[in-house]
Amino acid sequence: MTEQEQGAAQQPESEKPRIGVYICRCGGNISDVVDTEALAKQVQSLGDVATCKVETFMCSDPGQATIVEDIQKQGLNRVVVASCSPFLHELTFRTAVQRGGLNPYLYEHVNIREQDSWVHKHDPAGATAKALRMISAAVGKLHHVEQLERIRLGNHRQALVVGGGIAGLKAAVELAGKGIPVILVEQSPQLGGRVASLARTFPGEIEGPEFVHKLADQVTGHPLIRVFRRARVESVSGFVGNFDVRIAVESQPGASEPPDGHGQAAPAEAQEFHASVGTIIMATGSDPYTPARGEYGFAEQPAVVTLPDFLRQLADTPDGEFRWNGRPVRNVGFLHCVGSRQVDGVNPPQPDGKINDYCSRYCCTAILQQALTLKQRFPAVNVFDFYQDIRTYGRGREDYYTKSSAAGVVFLRFHGDEPPVVEPGENGSALKVRVKDWLTFGEEVEVPLDLLVLGVGMVPHAIPELIDRLKLPVGADRFLQEVHPKLRPVETAVNGVLLAGTAQAPMDIEETFSAAGAAAVKAAILLSRDVVELDPFVAEVDAEKCNGCERCLEECAYTGALLKETVEIDGETVVKARVNPGLCFGCGACVAICPTRAIDLKGWTLDQFDAMVDGLIEAVPVAG
Amino acid sequence: MGSDFEPKILVLATLACAYPGADAVGKAHLEYPANVSILRVPSPVLFPEDFYLRAFARGIDGILIASCGSDCPYTGAYDKLSRRIDGLVHKMKEGGLEIERMRLTAICTVCIKAFLNEVNQMDRKLREIGPANREIASRLWQASLRELQAGAVAEPVRSAS
Repeated sequence: MTEQEQGAAQQPESEKPRIGVYICRCGGNISDVVDTEALAKQVQSLGDVATCKVETFMCSDPGQATIVEDIQKQGLNRVVVASCSPFLHELTFRTAVQRGGLNPYLYEHVNIREQDSWVHKHDPAGATAKALRMISAAVGKLHHVEQLERIRLGNHRQALVVGGGIAGLKAAVELAGKGIPVILVEQSPQLGGRVASLARTFPGEIEGPEFVHKLADQVTGHPLIRVFRRARVESVSGFVGNFDVRIAVESQPGASEPPDGHGQAAPAEAQEFHASVGTIIMATGSDPYTPARGEYGFAEQPAVVTLPDFLRQLADTPDGEFRWNGRPVRNVGFLHCVGSRQVDGVNPPQPDGKINDYCSRYCCTAILQQALTLKQRFPAVNVFDFYQDIRTYGRGREDYYTKSSAAGVVFLRFHGDEPPVVEPGENGSALKVRVKDWLTFGEEVEVPLDLLVLGVGMVPHAIPELIDRLKLPVGADRFLQEVHPKLRPVETAVNGVLLAGTAQAPMDIEETFSAAGAAAVKAAILLSRDVVELDPFVAEVDAEKCNGCERCLEECAYTGALLKETVEIDGETVVKARVNPGLCFGCGACVAICPTRAIDLKGWTLDQFDAMVDGLIEAVPVAG
Repeated sequence: MGSDFEPKILVLATLACAYPGADAVGKAHLEYPANVSILRVPSPVLFPEDFYLRAFARGIDGILIASCGSDCPYTGAYDKLSRRIDGLVHKMKEGGLEIERMRLTAICTVCIKAFLNEVNQMDRKLREIGPANREIASRLWQASLRELQAGAVAEPVRSAS
C-alpha cells in the first residue's frame, strides 16, 4: 500500500470530497418527466462533483457495478444516487458503496421518483429543476458527513414467546429445535389457545385437543423451553438483542393440576421473574368476534348462537334426534361474515367507531365443515347457508363446499349492503330470517329457523399494555402490523419483535403454522450471533464543546440514554454529558436545546441540514 | 405580488410517517407544485428555533413540518416540538415575519389528501404574501442564536397540572 493509499484508507473524511452522482432513469419512470441528460450536465457543475452518470436502472447489477468501479478507478469518496424512494433502495446503494471500499455512510440518497417525477408529471421543467435542487442538497450534505460505524452490542441469545396458542407453541418448538432457549408466557392455565377448544379442525378433521396435545408435549418436554402459565408480561423495555422482561405469574391458591398434564398448578403466591431476551415473538392470537346485543338477534334470541359455541355443543350432542337446549331442531341456518366484511353505513360501528371491513378467512370453510357434519349426523335437519361470497380456499377444502351442496345444504346469497334480518319466529319456529336472495335474482325469502349459527370473524386479542410498551404498530383493523406484507411479512417496525399467527391477521391453522415457523426462523437469524448491529444514527456529545450544563439530561425522555460523567481536564474536575448508544432512540430532542451545539445526531447533524437547505436554495435552475 | 414569484417551500417530513406519506402521493400519481422540496428527518424535535429562522434568512419562503403528530414514535418529542414551534411563531409574529410561513402539521403514511392540502395551501398563501423578508429573518435568527448560546432559552411552558 502506498503512503497515499494508506492515508486514504485511514482518513478519507479529511480528504477533499470527490463526489460521484448517479441519476436513474428508472426505465422512463423518471426520465419521461425529468430531463435526466440536461440534469446530469448541471450536476457536473456542483461543487466537488467528480463524475455524474445517467443509467437506465441504477439498482440493476450493472448500475451498482458502475458505482463500485468508479469508486475504485476514479477515487470517489462520496456517492449520491438519485432514483426512487430511499425506502426501496437506500440500503442497496449503501451496500454497493461498501463493496467499492467506502464507508457505507458516505452515501446520500435522493428521491426523484415518488417525490419528483411521479408528482410533477405535467411540469417537466419544474421537476428537472427540483431534481437539481435535491441533488444539490445531497451534495451539500456530503461535504459534512463522516464515516460511521454501526453500533455493536451484546446479544441475549434467548427468545420470548408471548402466547401459548398453537402459534406460540410452534414458534417455541422450532426455536428450541435450533438450540435457542425460549421463554414462553401464557396467560391462561392451559396451553393450546383457541384450537384446544375446537372439536374439529379442517382440513383433516383432527380434534383440536388431540392436535394441541402433540404440540404441547413437544414444548413442555423440551429442556430449552421454559413455560410460564397464568403469567403475563408485566413490563418490557430495551431493544433488539437486549430486551429486559418482567414476567408475573399469578397465584391461585387451591387450584389443582388440570387433568391433561399441560396445565400447571398455580403457585400459592404470586411470583415474578426477570429475563433478558434478544427477540420477542408476539403470538397473542385473536378472539372470536362478539356480536353486539341484538345483532342478528344475538343475546336477545336464545336460538341465535356463535359458531364456536355451536361447535362445542354439537360435539357434545348425542346422535339420534337433533336437539338444542332440549328443543327438537328441524331447521338450522348459518350466517356468514358476522363481524367481518362489514359495510360502512350498513353495519353498526364497533365501540372504537370503526367497522371490521376485513375478511376473517377461516369462517367459510369452518361453517361448511359444520354444516356438513350436521347434515351427516342428522340427515333430517334442513340446513340453510346465508352468505355474501363463499371461498373455501386451500388444498382439500373445496370438498366441504361440494359435499355440503350434495348433502342438500340450501344456499342463499345476500348483498353486503342488504344483510339478512333476524326476527322472532311464528308457528312454533324460534326465528325467522328475511333475506333478499340474489341466487333467485333478488327474491325476498323468509326462512323459519329453530337455530341460527353466526359465523363470527376474528378480532385481535386485546393487548394494549404490550402495544404501548413495545410501541408496536397496529393496522387500521387493530391487528399488529408487519413491516411489509410481502417483503417482510413477520417482522414489525420494532427491530427484534416478530409476529406469529392471528395476532397479525385472521389466519387458519395452516397459515398460523407457516407464520409461526417463519417468525421462529427470523428470530433464529437475529439470535445467530453474539452481537447485534444497530444503525449508527444516535446522539453523540462533542466533549470539547460540552459545558456540562446538563440541559440535555433534562430534555432526554429515555432513561439511561444520556449520562453525566465527571472527568479530569487539566487538573480540574468537570461534568460532561455522554450518550449510551444502546439506549438512545435517536430522536434528537437533546440536539435542539444544547446551548453550545455540542450534541448532534450522527448521520443527521444540524450542519448537514443547514448544508441541505443551502443546497436547495443555491442550485441553479436547468436552462430551457 | 406578481404571479412570477415562485416561493421556495421546504417540507421537513418524518421518516416514520410523513415521508412515506409523501411517497404515497407519488405512488398515487397525484400532483403538487414542483417548488416543494422534501427533506426527511427522524424527528423535527432535533431542530432548534434558529434552524428555521436561518432557512428563512437564506432564501426559504415557507416551511411545513410534516410530523407524526400523536403517532410520533419518540416519547414526548411531539409535545416538545409543538411547544417550540408555538414559541417560534410567537417570535415571528413579534418580529414581523408572516406566521403563515411556518406550519406544523401531522401527515400519516397514507395521508395523501392531507399532504396535498397542506402543500397546496402553503403554496397559495406564499404566492399571495410574497418572499420572506430576509433581513427580518436574519435578525430573528441571530437573536435566537444569541438566546440559545446564552443558555437563556425560555423554559418550556409546562402544563398547569
